[in-house]
This record gives sequence, structure tokens and C-alpha cells, in this order.
Amino acid sequence: MDTLLRLEDLTMHYKTKAGWVQAIDGVSFSLDKGQSLGLVGESGCGKTSIAMSIMRLLPYNAQLVKGRILFGGRNLYALSDEEVRQLRWKEVAMIFQAAMNSLNPVYSVGNQIIEAIVTHEPETGEDEARERVESLFELVGIPKERMDHYPHEYSGGMKQRAVIAMALACNPSLIIADEPTTALDVIVQDKILREIEDIRRKINMSMIYISHDVSVIAEVSDVVGVMYAGKLLELGPADDVFKRPKNPYTYSLMHAYPSILGEKHDLVTIPGEPPNLLDPPTGCRFHPRCDWATKECGETAPLWREITEGHYLACHNPIRTKQGKSCKQQKTAKGGDVIDTSDGN
Amino acid sequence: MRRYVFGRLGQVILTLLIYVTLVYFLMQAMPGDITMMYLSNPKIPQAAREELRKQLGLDQSLFMQYFSYMKNFFRGELGVSFSQYPKPVWDILMEKLPRTFVLFLTANVLSFYIGFVLGKVIAWRRGRAIDYAATVVGITFWTAFYPLLALVVIWLFAYNLKWLPLNQFIDPRLWSTAPFTANQVFGNMVSGAAIVAIGIFLISYYLLRGLKPSRRSRVYAWSLAAALVAAVLVIAARKGMLIYIWDITRHMILPVLTLTLINFAGTMLLMRDSMLETVQEDYVLAARAKGLPDHVVRDRYAARTALLPTVTSLVLSLASSMSGGMVTETMFSWPGLGQTLFTAALSNDYPLATGALAFTGIFLLIAHFIADILYAVLDPRITYTGQSDV
Ligand SMILES: Nc1ncnc2c1ncn2[C@@H]1O[C@H](COP(=O)(O)OP(=O)(O)OP(=O)(O)O)[C@@H](O)[C@H]1O
Ligand code: SF4
Ligand SMILES: [Mg+2]
Repeated sequence: MDTLLRLEDLTMHYKTKAGWVQAIDGVSFSLDKGQSLGLVGESGCGKTSIAMSIMRLLPYNAQLVKGRILFGGRNLYALSDEEVRQLRWKEVAMIFQAAMNSLNPVYSVGNQIIEAIVTHEPETGEDEARERVESLFELVGIPKERMDHYPHEYSGGMKQRAVIAMALACNPSLIIADEPTTALDVIVQDKILREIEDIRRKINMSMIYISHDVSVIAEVSDVVGVMYAGKLLELGPADDVFKRPKNPYTYSLMHAYPSILGEKHDLVTIPGEPPNLLDPPTGCRFHPRCDWATKECGETAPLWREITEGHYLACHNPIRTKQGKSCKQQKTAKGGDVIDTSDGN
Repeated sequence: MRRYVFGRLGQVILTLLIYVTLVYFLMQAMPGDITMMYLSNPKIPQAAREELRKQLGLDQSLFMQYFSYMKNFFRGELGVSFSQYPKPVWDILMEKLPRTFVLFLTANVLSFYIGFVLGKVIAWRRGRAIDYAATVVGITFWTAFYPLLALVVIWLFAYNLKWLPLNQFIDPRLWSTAPFTANQVFGNMVSGAAIVAIGIFLISYYLLRGLKPSRRSRVYAWSLAAALVAAVLVIAARKGMLIYIWDITRHMILPVLTLTLINFAGTMLLMRDSMLETVQEDYVLAARAKGLPDHVVRDRYAARTALLPTVTSLVLSLASSMSGGMVTETMFSWPGLGQTLFTAALSNDYPLATGALAFTGIFLLIAHFIADILYAVLDPRITYTGQSDV
């Protein structure tokens, strides 16, 4: 399959008064055309920063330290501002974390979508763009008479759908959905996610889903990447990663959420807080909270390597068993908060 | 929308009632007795005194006087001026009001526009040299002592450079042989300007609507607007008014300049602040993500919503410059409402002073009303009532 997007050793820091925030550190992955990737990790681990790097929309205090981003073979950070402007939305569109606020209150919703279309396709007339918005509204399930209404006249779920329609407006090859449904209640959330997935498959578009919620990622992604404190710890086909997690953090994260993949797990919380990225821990950034940590973990950072086809990992002590008894023994021996771990499969 | 407008209108009328009442009692409470003053005024003949006494209703109780005053006020009967006897106050005011209105409206719209554009640009390039320069210059003018600034402007442009007349509304030498009165020319000027303004509004509304007006409609719009301006000028020229219009315009430049200098920074700084907030909004980031050109993100997204709070400032600055109107008009000998109020107060011309004060208030109330409507037009969230009548 063709590679659409490739991040190579991406490292991006924010400059602050207190020092450099190491928000992205050596992240590499690639995404094929038509594939969906889920990025999961606790709040503040750098998911949005990755999305913004791909959009080249980083704030002024952000600095690309090393690495590069290739989109369709082109190095994004070697393009001119104008080239990037033309790439945005036409090629890469985004559903923002704050979807509710990403509509301008003083223009009608339809107007804002039409604007995106006529900006990127100057040959499209406004009437033609309008018809397209009508069919987009139909696709995402908003009555088309609502086009001329203003954002404040929309309910939360409708705004969310409108923002999705907007992302689809120029038929981009990639959409980045940053917590696309967190503001909604669970039922609507599920419904919308499934709808996005349907549309995505229909038009064979690539997608990056970003969420702190493993169950959301599990539902929609072909490939999952698990992030922790600015680093990718594990990445691979969703079935693989969720059925046989290799990284202890992946394992803990899965168990921190109830009901993944429909199975019943009791809740395990991960003790401790994510680290301060101004001064992250040496070695593996997860080691202060990791029940599998050994001496090596605090000293050297684990290498990012491919363990089986398409399954990447950074860990000194990968979980070897099938998510089974050894975990339980090890964890309880160390006094972790295990209430009960099922034997899995 | 209609309900909103009527609601506002009701409030304006109520405020007006209260205001006129206040003005009336304020005038009653002024030191000096009207009766004594006009009875001992040798300029007024005996017969006229009786007429005046009746007209002023001085033989009635205070309450009845107030009542008939209000009744007369709303019928436009404001009495007769003492100092310009027997000219009715209404006529005097109708002559002065447009002059004040045009002067302050021009100055305020100009300073608002300049402040808006500068504020927008410096907020977008915050922290750069232009930001500091504009802020320092703006604050300097803003805090300047107004009469001093006026003197400096007069000294520089009128006395020193001799580009513009010192003061007054017209040049008496030019007008001594004029076939028109200043009021006729001024009236024509105002209607001409109004026709051009409405015309340009309609042209841009019908031809330049939509997100991306085609090149052809833009060319149409520009040529239509140019034709309109040319037509108005040609008509004025054929009436032989052009030179007189130019004379009045020349006399307006210095007061407008002074008012603009002192006012623009208020809007500019407010706009800058307001926009520094809106640039943080998610929809501005989203607009950039959409790949809209930089100036579109700035103008249609960041500046468009930042504009809302500054519309209020337009009214406030109009109010403050109107209350300073007496100073402006006196400094530049501009025969408008402020100067009329000033001289009327000095010469104990109570009817005229009351009328002038009342009209200053009405003027401000109308400005307020217009700003409210403008605000509602600009912000779709304001009039929202559940249906889509916006
Ligand atoms: N403009 C900025 N300046 C300095 N630090 C920043 C900036 N933006 C983000 N950060 C920091 O960078 C880290 C990563 O932030 P990011 O928003 O990418 O996390 P996230 O995974 O999207 O979190 P969440 O799930 O809460 O959205 C955080 O520690 C955050 O505090
Ligand atoms: S490298 Fe060590 S600390 Fe890091 S996840 Fe693996 S076992 Fe835990
Ligand atoms: Mg985020």
C-alpha cells in the first residue's frame, strides 16, 4: 500500500519561561492510504502536539528540534507558507478537540463550509458549493435547512456533526480527529464515531483518531499507537496491540478503562501522575510508574524497534505471556492496585 | 429582529422622557429669575412681553408648567429665543443641529475606522515595532489636553502653514457675493453625501455579496460607485455650488482632524485588546487549519468578532466628543449646537439653552439606538429568540 504520511524521529519542544517542554520526543510512524490510526495516551502526553505538527499549525513558541514529516513524499517543513496553506483542508483536514468552539459565531454554519470549498477550489461556484454542503449535511445527518443557521442555534451533537461535515468538504486524503467526541454523551459518541468510520471506509480516506479513551480507539482504528509523556511506547495493528499488549503501559492503560473489546475487566488505575515534560525522567519515561521496571529502565531509554511485522515497541522488559497470570503475580507482588485481572484469552 | 428594534425604541422614548424632564427641572433650578430678567429686558416690547408670558405659561403652577412644557416639547414648540428674538428656538436648532451632526459624525466615523484598522493590524503583529509605535502615538494623543491640541493644530496648519482657514464655518469674503445661503449649500452637501453613502451601500450590498464576488461584479461595483460620485459632483458644479461646498469642507478639516486625533486611540486600543482575545479562539485556529489566506483569517475571523465590543465604544466616544462639543465648536468658532448652548447659557437665553441641551441628549440617544441596532446586526446571537428570524 502507498504510504501517505510518515513521521521520522519527530522531536518538538515548546519554549516556556520555565524551560523547554519536551512535548514530542523521537516519534516515528507511517500511515498508509485508507488506513486509520488511533493515538491514545493520558492527557498532556503530546497527542494534540503531533496533530498540530502535521497541520504545521504549531504555536509561535514551538520549535522543531529534529526529525521530519513527509506527506505524500513531500517534507512538510520544507514547504512555503503558501504551499502549506493550499495543502491544509484540501489534503489534511482536522476535527478539533474543541469542536464546539471551532465554528465562528457570526457566520452561518453552511457559509463557513462553503468558504472552505471555494477557497480551495476556485473553479467551484458558490451555488455548486452550496449543493455540496447540502449533501454533506445529509451524509452526517443534519437537516439541510439548518445550513443557514448560526452555530449558537445548533445543539452540541449537531455542531459536532457540522464540524465533521466541514472536515469532509474538500475530500481530503487525511483527517485528523482530535478527541472528536469527548464533549458528547456516550450514546451519541458511539453513534457519531461509527458514522465517521462508515464514511471513511466508503471514500477510502486515511484518518488519525486521537483520544485518551482506549475504548474509542479500539472501536475505530486499524492501527494503534500508545503515547506516554511525548514518546510512542507501542504501535501496531489494533488486534495485536489490544489482545497481546507488549508494553506494560499499554497493558495498564487498557485496564484503566472498563469494557474494552466487549470483555469485562475490573478497573485498574495507574498509580502516580504523568511526569512534568519540562524535566522528564531519564531512561524510559514511564519507569517511575512501571511495575515491570528494572534498573536498566531508569538508565537508558528503550529503543524503538519492530518486533513483529508492523508491531513496534519501546520497552526493556516486554510482557511475554499472553496478558496472563505472570502479570498478575508480578503486579500483586509489587503491591500494585490490582483488584482482579481476568485471564484474558 | 423587529421585536428587538421596537423594544429598544421603547426604551429610547422612555429615556428621552426622563431626560427632557431632567433638563426642564435643571433649568428651573438655575439661579436667576426668568420673569425678572425678561420683564426688565428693554429689548423686548411691551406687547411681546404679554405674549411671551402667556407662551411661557408663567402664570400657571409649576406642575402645569411642566405639563405644558412636555406637551409643547413633543410638538416641536420650544418657544422663542430671548437673545435672537423673535426667532423660534426650533428654527435656530434646526439650523445648528445639522452642522454639529455632520462635524461629529464625520470625525467619529473617521476615528473609529482608523482606530479599527490600526487596532486590527497591530494586534495581528503584536510585539513588533508597529505595535509599539502605534500604541505610543495613540496614547500620546489620547491623553493630550484637548484645547491645547486644538491650538497646536490651528497654529500649525492655519497660522504657520496657512493651508487651511483658522476657524469659522465659511469664508465671509467669498460668500458676500454668493447666490446661496450657507444653509442651502450645507443642506445640499448633506443630501449629496447621504445619496452617495446610501448608493454605495446598496451597490456593495447587491453586487459584492457572497464570499467571493466575481471580478466582473467587482468592476461593475467600482464603476457604478465612481459614476455616482461623479454624477453628484457634476450636479453640484452645474448648480454653481462646487466652490462653496469646497469652502465649507475646508473649514471642516481642522476640527475633524483634531477630534479624530484625540479619539482614534480609544478605539484602536480597545480593538487591539479585544482582538488579542479573539486570536486565541478555537475558531481562529480552525480558520487557519482550513487553509484560508492570512488576511481572511484576520479580517473575517479574528477582527470580525473583536469588532463587537468596539461598536459600543463608537457610541461612548460620540458621547464624550459631543459633551466636549462645546469646547470644539468654541475653539473653532463652529456655529453648531455646542456653541449655541454656550452662548445661550451666557446670555440667559433659557428657552434656547433648554432646547439645545434637550437636542444634544436626543442626538446621543439616537446614536445609542443606532449602535444597539448595529450591534444586533453584527452579532447574530443577540436577537436570537428560538426561531430563525435573524
Ligand atoms: N503552547 C504551548 N506552550 C508550552 N507548552 C505546551 C503548549 N502546548 C502544549 N504544551 C504542553 O505540551 C504537552 C503536550 O500537550 P498536548 O496538548 O499535545 O497534549 P494532549 O495529549 O493533546 O493532551 P490532552 O489529552 O489533554 O488534549 C503538555 O504538557 C502541555 O502542557
Ligand atoms: S522500559 Fe521499563 S519502565 Fe519502560 S515500560 Fe518497559 S519495563 Fe516499564
Ligand atoms: Mg489534546
